[in-house]
Amino acid sequence: MKKEFVTVRQNETVIKVLNTKIDAVRVKDLTKRGVRVYENGLIGISGAIGNLSDDALVAMAKENLSVGIKYPYELTKQDEDHRDYRVKAIDSEQLVSITEQMLTFFRMEFPEFDFSEKIGFNETQIEFNNSEGLELSYQDAIFEIELILKEKSSSNLFDGFISYQGRTLDMDKFVSFNKMLLRAQGNAVLLPRGEKLPIFMTDTSKMKIFLNKALNGENYANNSSIFSQKMGQKIFNSKLTIEQNFDPTEMARPFFDHEGVKLNGDKLALIENGVLKDVFSDKKTAAIYGIRHTGGATGEYDSMPMLSATSLRCRNDSENIKKVLNGKPAIIVAMAEGGDFTADGHYASPVQLGYLFDGEKIIGKLPEFTVTSKLSDMLGDDYIGTFENPFYMSESGQLQGYYLTVK
Amino acid sequence: MYIFPKDLYVDVRIEESFDTKISFKKKCLIEQKIRKNTGAFIRVFDGKRWYYSSISEVDLVQEQIDKLAQMATPNPHILEHPVVQKFEVNQTSKLNYANEPITNLSVLRKRNLLESRLELLDDPIIVNHTSFYVDNRTVKQIYTSKGTEVIFDKQTCGIRMSFDIAYGESKDQVSVSKGFDTFEALEMTEEYFRNEIQKTIEFVKNAVPVVGGEYTVLLSPMATGVFTHESFGHKSESDFMVGDETMQAEWTIGKSVANEIVTIVDDGNILGNGFVPFDDEGTEGKKTMIITDGILTGRLHSTQTAALLQEDLTGNARAMNFEFEPIVRMTTTYLEKGDRPLKEIISEIDKGIFVDTIIHGSGLSTFTLAPSRAYMIENGKISQPVRISVVTGNVFETLSEVDAVSSEFEFLGFVGGGCGKMEQWPLPVGFGGPYTKVRKLNVQ
Repeated sequence: MKKEFVTVRQNETVIKVLNTKIDAVRVKDLTKRGVRVYENGLIGISGAIGNLSDDALVAMAKENLSVGIKYPYELTKQDEDHRDYRVKAIDSEQLVSITEQMLTFFRMEFPEFDFSEKIGFNETQIEFNNSEGLELSYQDAIFEIELILKEKSSSNLFDGFISYQGRTLDMDKFVSFNKMLLRAQGNAVLLPRGEKLPIFMTDTSKMKIFLNKALNGENYANNSSIFSQKMGQKIFNSKLTIEQNFDPTEMARPFFDHEGVKLNGDKLALIENGVLKDVFSDKKTAAIYGIRHTGGATGEYDSMPMLSATSLRCRNDSENIKKVLNGKPAIIVAMAEGGDFTADGHYASPVQLGYLFDGEKIIGKLPEFTVTSKLSDMLGDDYIGTFENPFYMSESGQLQGYYLTVK
Repeated sequence: MYIFPKDLYVDVRIEESFDTKISFKKKCLIEQKIRKNTGAFIRVFDGKRWYYSSISEVDLVQEQIDKLAQMATPNPHILEHPVVQKFEVNQTSKLNYANEPITNLSVLRKRNLLESRLELLDDPIIVNHTSFYVDNRTVKQIYTSKGTEVIFDKQTCGIRMSFDIAYGESKDQVSVSKGFDTFEALEMTEEYFRNEIQKTIEFVKNAVPVVGGEYTVLLSPMATGVFTHESFGHKSESDFMVGDETMQAEWTIGKSVANEIVTIVDDGNILGNGFVPFDDEGTEGKKTMIITDGILTGRLHSTQTAALLQEDLTGNARAMNFEFEPIVRMTTTYLEKGDRPLKEIISEIDKGIFVDTIIHGSGLSTFTLAPSRAYMIENGKISQPVRISVVTGNVFETLSEVDAVSSEFEFLGFVGGGCGKMEQWPLPVGFGGPYTKVRKLNVQ
């Protein structure tokens, strides 16, 4: 009988902030473990939070074999890869001190705003081992700053965000960038003229949800993807490359999937220079539909490996936003909640928070507006490029620009 | 039960959860698991700051209490602190599901129910589908240094069927879901799933892109429920008001905030996803009238917000699970029904949109609804299916633009999603409402 073990350890300290003061300190130290056993082409699973013994978990997984779920696929084997991306350790006292320093800055420099929510330091260790000689481990430790910003004179629930994610925190850079942002927040400006404007997104999660459905190998093979039957065709702008990306330095995630599969160089281009090259798949999907296996299995610590969504990232393809804009005023979208893509790729969203942007500096806060487009235009003729985010918001953040219709 | 340190407020929440998940891909079983977990969340308060700990070993609760107490500063006047004074003290047991818990049903019976539903997806244009059955029973115990000792339970079960449709160039991925607090209720849903699947197939076959603009919009009970939750429910969560004089002035109780036909309620006593017999601080579940006949009459509180705003407790301090602290959340939130028949309301719309089902919604000063199925209304009749990215409106203007609510009303429960607030997502909530007509919304 072959056995596989997944262990997720999370050690987290979070400082909860209310009205620019520390309200609470939360510590969490949890271990979640999952076990899979394989016999006669079947898989059995079990899992627990806490310190249940291996023997007990294996016994539960063996019992689960009787359910009769087929898994006639080779386990990933004979690889030892231990990667530790931690840069520094922070205890709760140090995090309280960092938070006090940050909140003092906000209180002194920007008394017209209130800041609430959390500043955290999250240490994660994920191990994936099996009886076939596979030993993978990923360790990381990340600062996560998520503060909601409220103008004291405003009757909105909140008016913006201060956010940062990274393995290190440079307080000078953090202060410098957020000074610019908060000054812009207090400077109301008008929308630039024009029906179609250059707009840069800091968060492309809605588009990634849509692309994950379209690039899912099972959807593709079943003809339910808008990309079905377009393999090898140019579907987007020649600059654009979209990768299945397991690189922890760019995605802050493990370098392997839920079947213990790694990618060559931690990346695989699914759309390269605008051409559809591949779709993502797990072992089962690849076998059933005869498509290339790309290591796209996902799941919780105690669940079957499944194909749902993978880590997608656009490759940085452009530099120097100022030069690209060539003097045109642009917009950075900081909050566009609630909009979506329709099944055929039409996109519309209100933009609750947008800033006027000259390619280098954030200048002022815009009134609410709506953007509309189509995916084929956004990533086609209206695509400006994907840039490294020049602002101190995330260690590996991006800005992606398109010309969108503004209403 | 525990030794609580002197001069500090302490509460302990222990959660014991039982979950089943059974999944089919097309007609092939791909997952069947039962998960049993236990964990605890401990809070210590010294009058200035809270200290929280989440652990999975409940036999270490006392050790964690002592550790957190060392981080805190003992306060001899802690019992006089307004927040501590405000905490309810309850000593009781409310185990609604102890006699017939869903944990006692065989997994085979659950699997057979899901499997029997799969034939509803036999249609040539459904090219792939994944369906799951889930259930959960959670028993919670809360102990506080003020003397609360309560034990209570909650259970839910449901089915979600997600399917991919390909009809020529029209493609879509759609989900249909239903959830209840008893398995017997879930067994009665065959017609519901059949109708929803058929309506979706017809929609995908015939839908055309909407012509964007302002329309009169008729919201189904599902859309009304999401609208109520997103547009006004979140704004009634009073943690957004603490320390904020502008918001407190804007949200003065007694202020007219909606058309007089609008009444919005949050009620933790309604069985289902939003059932909260006690909240996660041990406050008993309550019914809160948020808007009554267009007038702001209440808001939702944790003990901390109720104390700071000097209002009554409402039982809305909820945590997603034992890994998180309770924050102000909704329970079951709904818009009260009116007295007009749906037919009559539709007949008076010359040109409008009927929003039938929803993928998601959001609510800030502008609320959004992303419809899954929507239709034109022309000359008093529901007609052409239309694809819509988003329906938006200003919250306050929209509440005043509501000009008809139907006598037909539904409470709704689903599985496979929930409400998100900052880091805590998804939290099960209940919602519902009548058919609601809004004079003017932006449709794109």
